[in-house]
Parts: sequence; C-alpha cells; structure tokens
Amino acid sequence: MDNTTKLHAPRRLLTPPGPRYWRSLSERIRKPDFSLAAHREFADGDEEPVPVPADAVSRRRFLGLMSASAALAAGTVACSKPDRGTIVPYTKRPEEILPGVANYYASTFAEGLDTHGVLVKTREGRPIHVEGNDEHPLARGKAPLRAIADILRLYDGDRLRRPMIDGKDATWTDVDAKVVPALKAAGAGTKDVLLLMGPVLSPTRRALVEEIKRVVPRLRVVAWEPAVGDGELIGLRALHDAPLRAVTHLDRAKVVVSFEHDFLAGAVPALVRDFTSGRKRGAGAFKRLWALESGLSVTGAKADERLQVKPSQAARVGFALARLLADKHGLALPAGLEAGALTTFAPSAIAEELGVDVARIEALAADLAQAGRASVVLAGSSLAPEAHAAVHLLNAMTGAEGHTVDVSTATELEPLATWAELATIVKGMGEGAFSAAIFWGVNPAYLWPDADAWKAAVAKVPLRVRISLHADETAEGCDVVLPERHWLESWGDFEPALGLLSLQQPAVGPLYDDRQGEEILLGWARALGVTAPEDYHGYLMARWRKDVWPQGRPVSFEIFWTGALHDGVFRRSDLPPRPARTIKGAIVGAAAAQAAKKAGAGAGEGLELLLRPGYGLYDGRYANIGWLQELPDPITKCTWTSAALVSLADATALGLDDGDLVKLEAGGKSLEVPVIVQPGQCAGAVTFPLGYGRRSGAVGKGVGQNGFALVDMAAGGSPLARGGAKLTKLGNKVELPLTQAHHKMEGRDLVRSFTLAEFEKKLHEPTHGDPHGAEHDDPIHTASLYEKPTYADHRWGMVIDLGLCTGCSGCVVGCQSENNVPVVGPEQVTIGREMHWIRIDRYYEGKPEDPKVVHSPTLCQHCENAPCENVCPVNATNHSPDGLNQMAYNRCVGTRYCANNCPYKVRRFNYFEFTAFKREPELLVFNPEVTVRPRGVIEKCSFCVQRINDARMRARVDGRPLQDGDIKTACQVACPADAIIFGDLLDPASAVSKAAKDTRGYTILSHLGVRPSITYLAHISNPATTGAKGA
Amino acid sequence: MSTSLAAHPDRLPDALRPPSLTDGPVTLGQIDDQVLAFPARKPPLKWYLAFAFTGSLALFGLVSLGWTFFEGLGVWGNTNPVYWAFDIINFVFWVGIGHAGTLISAILFLFRKRWRNAVARFAEAMTIFAVICAVIFPLCHTGRPWLDFWLFPYPNERALWVNFRSPLLWDVFAVNTYFSVSALFWFIGLVPDIASMRDRTAPGLRKTIYTILSLGWRGAASHWQHYEKAYLLLAGLATGLVLSVHSVVSFDFATSLVPGWHMTIFPPYFVAGAIFAGFAMVVMVMVIVRETMNLQNLITMYHLDVMNKVILAMACIMGYSYFMEGFTAWYSQDEYLHWGFMNIISGTYGWAGMVTIACNIVIPQLLWFKWVRQNYAAMIFVSIGVTVGMWFERFVIIVISLHQDYLPSAWQVYKPTWVDFGILLGTFGIFFSLVLLFARVLPVIATSEVKAVLPASQPRPELHVHAPEPAHASAPALAEEVADA
Repeated sequence: MDNTTKLHAPRRLLTPPGPRYWRSLSERIRKPDFSLAAHREFADGDEEPVPVPADAVSRRRFLGLMSASAALAAGTVACSKPDRGTIVPYTKRPEEILPGVANYYASTFAEGLDTHGVLVKTREGRPIHVEGNDEHPLARGKAPLRAIADILRLYDGDRLRRPMIDGKDATWTDVDAKVVPALKAAGAGTKDVLLLMGPVLSPTRRALVEEIKRVVPRLRVVAWEPAVGDGELIGLRALHDAPLRAVTHLDRAKVVVSFEHDFLAGAVPALVRDFTSGRKRGAGAFKRLWALESGLSVTGAKADERLQVKPSQAARVGFALARLLADKHGLALPAGLEAGALTTFAPSAIAEELGVDVARIEALAADLAQAGRASVVLAGSSLAPEAHAAVHLLNAMTGAEGHTVDVSTATELEPLATWAELATIVKGMGEGAFSAAIFWGVNPAYLWPDADAWKAAVAKVPLRVRISLHADETAEGCDVVLPERHWLESWGDFEPALGLLSLQQPAVGPLYDDRQGEEILLGWARALGVTAPEDYHGYLMARWRKDVWPQGRPVSFEIFWTGALHDGVFRRSDLPPRPARTIKGAIVGAAAAQAAKKAGAGAGEGLELLLRPGYGLYDGRYANIGWLQELPDPITKCTWTSAALVSLADATALGLDDGDLVKLEAGGKSLEVPVIVQPGQCAGAVTFPLGYGRRSGAVGKGVGQNGFALVDMAAGGSPLARGGAKLTKLGNKVELPLTQAHHKMEGRDLVRSFTLAEFEKKLHEPTHGDPHGAEHDDPIHTASLYEKPTYADHRWGMVIDLGLCTGCSGCVVGCQSENNVPVVGPEQVTIGREMHWIRIDRYYEGKPEDPKVVHSPTLCQHCENAPCENVCPVNATNHSPDGLNQMAYNRCVGTRYCANNCPYKVRRFNYFEFTAFKREPELLVFNPEVTVRPRGVIEKCSFCVQRINDARMRARVDGRPLQDGDIKTACQVACPADAIIFGDLLDPASAVSKAAKDTRGYTILSHLGVRPSITYLAHISNPATTGAKGA
Repeated sequence: MSTSLAAHPDRLPDALRPPSLTDGPVTLGQIDDQVLAFPARKPPLKWYLAFAFTGSLALFGLVSLGWTFFEGLGVWGNTNPVYWAFDIINFVFWVGIGHAGTLISAILFLFRKRWRNAVARFAEAMTIFAVICAVIFPLCHTGRPWLDFWLFPYPNERALWVNFRSPLLWDVFAVNTYFSVSALFWFIGLVPDIASMRDRTAPGLRKTIYTILSLGWRGAASHWQHYEKAYLLLAGLATGLVLSVHSVVSFDFATSLVPGWHMTIFPPYFVAGAIFAGFAMVVMVMVIVRETMNLQNLITMYHLDVMNKVILAMACIMGYSYFMEGFTAWYSQDEYLHWGFMNIISGTYGWAGMVTIACNIVIPQLLWFKWVRQNYAAMIFVSIGVTVGMWFERFVIIVISLHQDYLPSAWQVYKPTWVDFGILLGTFGIFFSLVLLFARVLPVIATSEVKAVLPASQPRPELHVHAPEPAHASAPALAEEVADA
C-alpha cells in the first residue's frame, strides 16, 4: 500500500466563525482559494499560522536584534540559572504539527456494546484530552466520562512495552515462530484453538476474524462482555426472530420507565441528553421518569417516581403492569400471548409485596397507557430474561416498539457468550480440549469467579497467548504475552447503528514495540496463507474501498477516506432500513410462567445481591486509572474501595454502621468488605460494585474486593443479580474514603427543588416572581468598603441547570483531564484532601428509607466581591478585568486563608507534592496550557482560563469579536445533559445571560453579599401524584 | 509637706495600710546578693535536669518541624475545610501568653501599681519568649515557608506589592511591632542590672558580654534621668500594643465570613483572653521561680494573691464573652451562627467546648477564696486549668468553626497527627528552655525597681525633722547601701 494515502485527518482550530471549525477536505473541494491559503500556511519554516501585521518585526530584523542584544546580554545573564531542559528545534518538522497549536482527531471509543464518537485533542503529537465528536450523530459532542478518563491508560506506566515469551523479552519474529506453527498444527489436529475476546462490534474486525476462521478451521471464537448481564442477551435472542439492539429515542418519549437501568449515569451520553432535553419548563411536555430499582442509582435519584423493586421482583412488576394495561386500559396483548398467562400477576399482590400503595402501580400503568407510543420502558442488562420479556411486552403493548424503541437502524446483537457458555469453555480447557488459547483484551483470569479453577484449567492448554495492554492476571498464566495498542494508537471501525460507521484512527504514534490486536491476528493470518495488506490500517482501508466506498460517487477513494476520517463518521445511504419486528407472544408467555415459578420457589432465604459495574471502573478494566478510582460515586460519594450498600432496615437488624466490615457471602464464596448504609436501598437487597480487587496494576492492585467472585453462573439466570446472599458483621471497622461525609442540607437554602406544580404556584406568588433578584440587590447585603469591579469587555459567568444535572460526574473527569488536577489516593481522600476543582454535592431529603436526592455541582463561583481575594496577604488571588477570580500559583505562599474564607469551600490546597515526581509516560497526559501546581499552593477552578484565552486569540487572529459559544469550559463539554452554560454575562444576547434570567435562577449563599458569577436553576420534578405518597 | 493619711502610712488603720511588698526586713544589699548572685554561680544540678528535659522537648519540636518541611504540610492533620488548626491555635495561644508580661510591665507601671516591680522583669521575659514561640507558627504553617518574605512590603524587581486589605498582613506588622517594642522595653529595663552584673563578674568572656550589653552604664544621675524617661515612653508605647496586638490577631477571624469567626466582640474578648492566659502562665512560673531560687522574701504571697485576682477578673470577662457569643447566635437569628454555636456545646467537638467552659469559667471561680489564691497547689491547679482552657478556646474558635461552615457537603472532621502534637510540645520546650537560660544568665528581678518599693526607699517625713530634704529620691537608699558595703 502506498504510504502517502495513509492520511490522518487532523482537525485544527483555525477558521472563523462559530464555536469550533476545522479545515475540512470538503471545504477544500468547495473553496477555490483554499489551496492558496494552504500553501501559505505550510510554507517551509513558517511556524505560525498568524498573519504578520505590517509593523511587526520581520524575521531578518528580529535575528539582527537578537545578535546585538545577545552580546549585551552575555554579561548580564551570566548569574541567572540556566534552563535545565534541552530545547531542540525540529530539524524536520512533522507534518500537521504546529508547536503550541492543538490538533483534533476524530476517533471512536468502544465499551460494552456501545461505541462513542470522540475528538482527541493532541498537542505536539500527544493526546491530552478527549471530548465528544459533535459531527457524530449519536455522540453529538459528548463523550462518556470513561472515554475521557481512558487517556490515562494510554500513558499508564504499567503497560506492556514489548512481546514476551516465557517471561523473557522477545521479538515479534520469535512470537510468530512460536504461534504460527501451533495454529497450523491445530488445523490438522482434533483439538480446538480458542480465541476469547471482547465484543466484536467492528465490521472490519468481524471480517478479519471470519478470514482467520477460514485458515484455522478449528478456531473457536468466543466474544464475552462480562459487565453485560446474560438476561439481555438471552431475552433478546429468544423474543425476536433477529436479535436486534434497538436504538432508544428518549427524545420521543413523554414517560420513561426504567427497570434497574441506570441510563442517566452517562455511559451513553445520548440517552442522558435525549432525556433531559424534554425536562425544560415551557418547552413542550415535561417528561416523567419512573425508576424501579433495588439500589439507589443516578437514574433513581433523578426519578420523579421511584419504587423499590428487587431484581427478582422486576419481571412480576412488569407483567402486573402489562395486565393492568390489558385489563384496565384495553391495550391489546401481542399475538401468541394468552391473557390467562398474566392472571397470576395481580397488581394488588405485587403492590403489597413491594410495600407500596397499589395506586402507585396503577398510576404507572395509567402513565404508560396515556403516553402510548411516547413512552418507553427500559430494562437493565443485569435483570433476568423474564424481566426483559416483560419489558419488551410493555413496549409492544404501548406501541413504543417502532417509535421510541426504534429497530429501523438497529444493529444485530453481538454473538456474546453467556457465563454458562463460558463455563463449558473453561471446563473444556480443563479437559484438554484446546490445543491453544488466545486471550485478547477481556481479562478472564480476573473475571472468573473461581480464580484457582481458572488457573488449573488454563494450565492444561499447551499454548497460551495473551494480547493485552497490561501484564494482567490473565497474562500471568500465559507463555506468550503480547503488548496491545491502546485505542488512541489504533485503527478501526464500528457500526453503532445500521449504516452508521464510526472510524477509529490513531491520535499518536505507537509508544512502544506493540501491535494492535487485529494486526497481530492479521500477521498470523497472512503467515497461514491469507492474502491481505500487511497492516491493519491497510486492511481497514481495503475493506472500505471494497464495501463502503459508494460506487457511483464522483470522489476518489482518498478524498472519501480522508473525509470520513476527518468527520469520524460515515453514514451509508445504500442500506434499507430494517423492517419492524414482532414479539413472540409464546416466548413471553413462557417467560411469564417462569417468572411465576421463580416467585413461588425463590422466595427463599437470604438477601438479594445486585452486582453493578463499578461507576468508574466498569468491569475492572479501568482499575489502573487514578481519575476513575478517585471519582466519587454520584450517590455514595465513595472512592477507592468497594463497599456493599445495605438498606437501613437490614443495617438495623444486623447492627451495621457505615464502614463496618462484613462478610458478604453468596453461593459458597465470601468477601470481606465494608458497608455503607444507603438511604433508598431496598430492604432485603444488597448492591455491590464490580471492577475492584484487581491483582495487578500499580494503581488498582488490592483496591477493594472482586465482586465477580459472587457471580451466579446458573444457566438462564441473571448472573449479576442473585439471591441467597448473606451478611455477617465482623466487628471491626474501617474509615471509608468518602468525599462527602454529611448528607443533609440541615434546612439551609442551598439546592432548590420544586415539583412542577409547586413551582408554577410559586411563580404566581409575588415574593417569588424573581427568586434570586430580591436578596441579590439588597443594598445592605451588597454594601462594600471596596469599589465594585468594573468590566471592560466581558464578564464571564455560568449557569448550572439543576433540573438537567443528573450528578453523573462527567464534568469532574473532564475538568480533571483538562486542568491537570492531581489524584491524591485513598488515605488523603479519607481525611478530606481530595483535589477536584468541581465536585457534585449530593443531599438527601425526607425519609431515609425513601429519600429525595438533589445534586448540585459546586465549583469556584468567581464571586464579584470575592471573600478570598481580600484576605490573601500577597495578592496571589485577585480579580481579572473580565470577572474571573484568578489564582497566581507562582505568587501563592500557602497561608490557606483564602480557603478558610471561601464559603463554598472550593479551594484546594496541595498538602503534598502530588505531581512533580511523575515521570514519563505518566506526565505526558498533562495539558501544557495549565500550570502543574507544586506542593504548598492553593488551586481552584479557573473557568478554564486557558480556553478563554485560546478563543480570544483565535478571534483576534481572525479579526473578529469573540462570539457567544466560542468558549466552552471542560466541564460544560463533558456534561452529557448540557446542564452547564458558560459565557459573557455582559452580553444580553448570550445564552448564559438569558439562562441567568430564568425564573428558576438563584445564587447560593447570596445573603453573604459575595455576588457569585454562577447562577443555579432550581430543580424541577414532575411526580405523578402530588401530596402523600404510599410508603 | 503633706499631711494626708496616705503620706503617713504608719498612722493608717491596719486594714487600709498598703501591704508590704517584701517579706520581712530586706536591705538593698541583700537584694543584690540574692538576685545578682544566681547568674554568677554555677547552676545547681536541678537546673541541668530541667534544661535537659525542656531541651529534649524543644528538639522533638524541631524534628517535627523538619519533617514538615521535608514532606509538606500534609503530615499535619489540617484538611480541606479545616485549613488552619494547631498552627494557628498555637500561634494565638502563644501570642496571648505574652500579653501578661506587657500588661504587667507597661500598664501597671503607668498605673503605679508598685507590686508589679518584683514580677515585671520575669513577666516581660516571658512575653518575649512567648512571642518567639508564636512566630514559629505563621512562619512554618505556610505551604511554601521559603517564600514567607513575600509577606513583607519590600521593593522588588517584579513590582509586586503586598495586599494591605489582608488581616494576615496586619498580623505581620502587629506581631513584628510587638516583638520589637517588647524586646526593647525589656532590654532597657535590664541595662542597670547588667551593669551591676558586670561589676560583680571577674574579667573574662562573661564580663565582656555584660560590659557590651550594659551600654556603658555607670549609675550616674543623668543616666537614671534618661533611663526613667525612656522607660516611661516605652511603657506608653507598649500599653497601646497590649490592646492592639491581640485585637489585630482577632481580626484574622473577625473580618472573615466564617460563622463563629465573624463577631464584633472578638477584639476585646481576645485581649481579655490573652491577659487571662498570660497571668496564669506567670503565676505558674513565678511559683517555681520563687521556690527554686529562694525569692520568697521578694516575690511574696501578696504578689501571687494580686495576680490571682486579675485571673479571676478576666475569667468573669471570659464568662460574659461566652455568654454573649451564645446570645448573638440566638438573637441574630442567623442559622449558620446558631449551628456553629450549637457545635461548641454539642456535636463532634462538644467536649472541647465543655473543657473550655469548665477551665476558663468554672475552675477560676475558686479564686474567690483567699486560701486558694494563696495556696500553691490550688493556684497551680487553677493556672494549669486556665492554660489548658485557653488553648482549647482557640481550638473551639478555629477548628469547630471551620469544620462545619456553610455547605454541609464540605464538612469534615479534623484529627491532629503526632507532628501537630510534636510541634506544640516543642514550643513548650523552647519556651521553658529560654526561661531557664534567662534565669541562668540575667537577673530575674529588676533590683533597682524592687529597691524603689522597699520601705527604706519611701519618703519618711519623721526623718525630715532631723535631716535636710534629700536631693534625690533614692539618695537614702544609696546611703544605706554604702553603709552596708
């Protein structure tokens, strides 16, 4: 393949106007003068894309001045310290890289069964930040927090750097010499070769695997995604003719019902935004969210109505709802399902079991019936297949199927293995059925509940190959260990929706002597006789040239390919939409019978245990990412450990308090873990996070306990939601690394929250006509000895809409990545020294058994009359002419007086040296535009001043004024709900000015007269029934 | 010639007669021998033992500080809402201890309270040592102590200036002024006694040092005249400082907006508290000095009794202040202030509030009884109580107010570490080591001032019948001294 065609497509921030514009190849085609501009820009030696003003010093003149002043300076600078760094100019400048100017590359991040279009910001050739790709129709500018944080895995010092055979360094030739003969032999033998990997998702990877299968006929490909529960897989395979994963359109829904599905946690940002976009007052119907769940999740915290339902009860509640819809609201049951199948699910009986008034169940059914096709019922993947059947049934009955649950662009479900299927593979390994095993990506030695059994089984396989980023648990038992590339160094394509292709391109050259997993397989395939391009990039392009490149189009493949790479996505228009599907009524009937049977048999002993993918760590793959370990769970505010969440009732019965160690037993295995007594936790149910208890990795090793040990492998069940768990108090106690220790607002007016009806009423009361104006302009509270600041051009401000904020904490990770915020470790978090510049305050209100939860992102309020500024003895913190409360780290002596005097307590002190000791590769992740703070100084949110200045400079270069939307803070970009608006408060037309005038607006602690620049918009909920709720 | 009663004390009824400020007849020569002899002698073994102990404590403090510099402030217990803790508690505590000295030496001097003469020197020395201990904290508690000089408004090439709005900067000036004026005041008072030491020391290094420090003092009338004027002026200066220093220290809190800090009562309340704690420390040290250095005749029970009365008076002011804090919390209807006050008497640190109230208000009430004021064990018990109580008062103000302020999400419990305790103990070590060194090399009592209050130095009208009026007030005393020699 010709090298020149392997183009990266950079996205560069250059041209006016608007928030972010890149020079795209489509522009090149359209604009005749473009080639000229490009020529000028990339003229040899011209480092800056800035037009040179007429009176500027020319380069020759500059050099002349230099030589003259150098002679003068020689004597005077001799006593100053020399710069310790070595500065070497580019002798041969890399293409596309301008020092000091960021390049953006569109790429794709994949996790679980979802893929996300992202933009990777690179500086001087290294990725430093990940944001959502705004040209990607699903991402629409938003990236999930784990995609943002995963950049740390790229620079993880624990990564494998070269191939190893039997624990010794080896070359790729050695590896091929060892593996290829084994694969060749397997074709002739009677034993299988196992290829165990994560979900395939990518059409090109799928094609590659098919090709390898052709030359290694005994290859057994097993794709496995442990954090996706079996229930969804089994349910989907059975209920329809084709296992299609429908695209959920929450924007079309008026009523959303979630059965244990934490879609507001932000793993798929589109779901969050589509939901919250319909939660704005005065903008059409106000969505209502019902959450039926056992543990309090982000979704449950945001729900207008929340019912505590154990995982085992979910299916029956679903069928009871279906019965209500059929009996009371006259909705038709699907063909094949007899009405009699539902008679066992009496709403009154299930309401009694849940301990709620039956009226609430009826209200839920009425909501569904009323919304009809504009409703959607979601089921968490951990639930049993019967629950999924019930949910599909409900969607089919309301007509949501085909409207909010859209299969026209659905992709086919991956052929993923269930836990039970995997158990037979492990058994097979133990019986010597495999001649070789390749473990690619997914880390079964950690995930397998019985680590010893896994070890024993794997030992029976003659050749064991590990392809992974790290020398992890699985690599330990393998003789060939191959370093895989991070996704930021890799090529690939994904198909998140039918015909929508999302491309992955490297944003950095390979850091080590590693290869992309696909490329390793491709190499072996070629050695076995497949004719294919040498590398996976070529392979990918070849497939696109053959399959994707629209024939009949008047663009060359190169232009088509670079265009698609530039955009990060390509939508095929040549595929017909999928036809509507019908649910198999008979299967639903069988599921209902199964659910009824389980209810009869399973009302047995013990607690129900729900294993939930860790909020930051997911299935443990991110355990070595400090940002995610230290990311507080949005509900428990716990970091750095896995705690079992127990209900108040169970805690009282067992005499448990926060931090008490317990033995958590299930299925004959046990873990010693601390507990958190969680308000809103369903009595009789325990929630435990997955992803902890890794046995490798400098950061994640030994943090928490491995919840996968408690997985229930019984076939057809729900491995992540099981019964028969038991808690035993051990007597000792640990201090939990919580970032928030006090959970009540103590009656203070901090987070305002109204129901829709309450708010409409208040609006008409005279005192609440302008909720924040009255106290804000009170002359007594705003009187000051000092002059009021005056603003020349701008006054930066922010509006945070608590009605949209779900507390997902994406902003925390976005800020941490953008602003080089350090990670301090569990000991420091325990004593309260976490460094996050933005934190999500979470308060419970009401009954602890069933609390109302409010979230409030808290960051520096950039007070106009800032109390921190006048107490700093050295003027290290002061006010900028554009309204920023700025911090001069170099001037800070560290008296911490500013932090004491900050009523919001958002200032952070570097008690230790948290970053300076970092070495490559870890320090490569730092944003060069943000100072890394040393020990002994205060730091805090700067409103991303580097982004403000960057936008200002770009506007100046372009000779235009700054426009609203030019500047987006990192938290704003990361917020999947678009709850954060940033801009110029002096500009009456700016989005932030308009939002700040919202009737819901208020400022926190305004009575102190500090005049914060952040306006919060009160949270509005939309409960189904006003007044007393059933207990 | 005056005929008033006051001028004729022996004609007064016993109850109204001013008490004798010495026990038994003391001659001027005896005073010199008693006071000036101690520094001249090799100290007894118990001095060495005591110094070894206090020196070890000081060393432990220095090691703790060294560890802090090496590792960073994180080795202390300070945390996110409680950004100040032991550092500022100890600072305020030690600055407060110093106040008794200045009050005794300056204000009581201006009010002509002659009993102060016997204890002023020592109390003033304690002031200086306490301020030395105090300044350790603001200097070492900053995140980057090597940049502390940025707090001084010095001209620099970066044209950076300090922030005169910051109470911390006011502190820098207040404490600096306080230290320099106190040191100067103390030194001026020492000059005549150093001259006496010079005269009584055999030639050698010691004599050379005394010679230099005595600034050529010869006891000439002109020397005395200048000396008295300088002393009076410095007393006037220092008087203002007694009130200003702790007021400024209190501004660190009062001008902030932390509930529990933002109180107008703070300046007078801090000054009273400082005098309170200072007197308790002076009483404790005086009892020890009186016994170990055999100064029972010069520092009498009367002295201790008067100082205990001052402690009692201050305890009542403290009681009023605490009550007013509670009243303000209730009357202001400020929920944050109310919450903060409830934290003092209940909650995580409620015990600290209770210790404060018990030690500062309840225990000192014992001093209403004369036998308590004149009993070593009892007064030391009260004094230790007050010292502990005043330390905890600053703990209450600083830690309790900070650990729960406006946003409950940021609340955090503070726990000190061994380094915090190490530095606190270390400053006690430094303080007492300096006290011991002082007693070892300088006269602990101002001999000339004590001589001035002897009955022999008082005007004796009955003598006037036989002898002409003396030229100088201290002439008879001098004559007597000559006769003794």
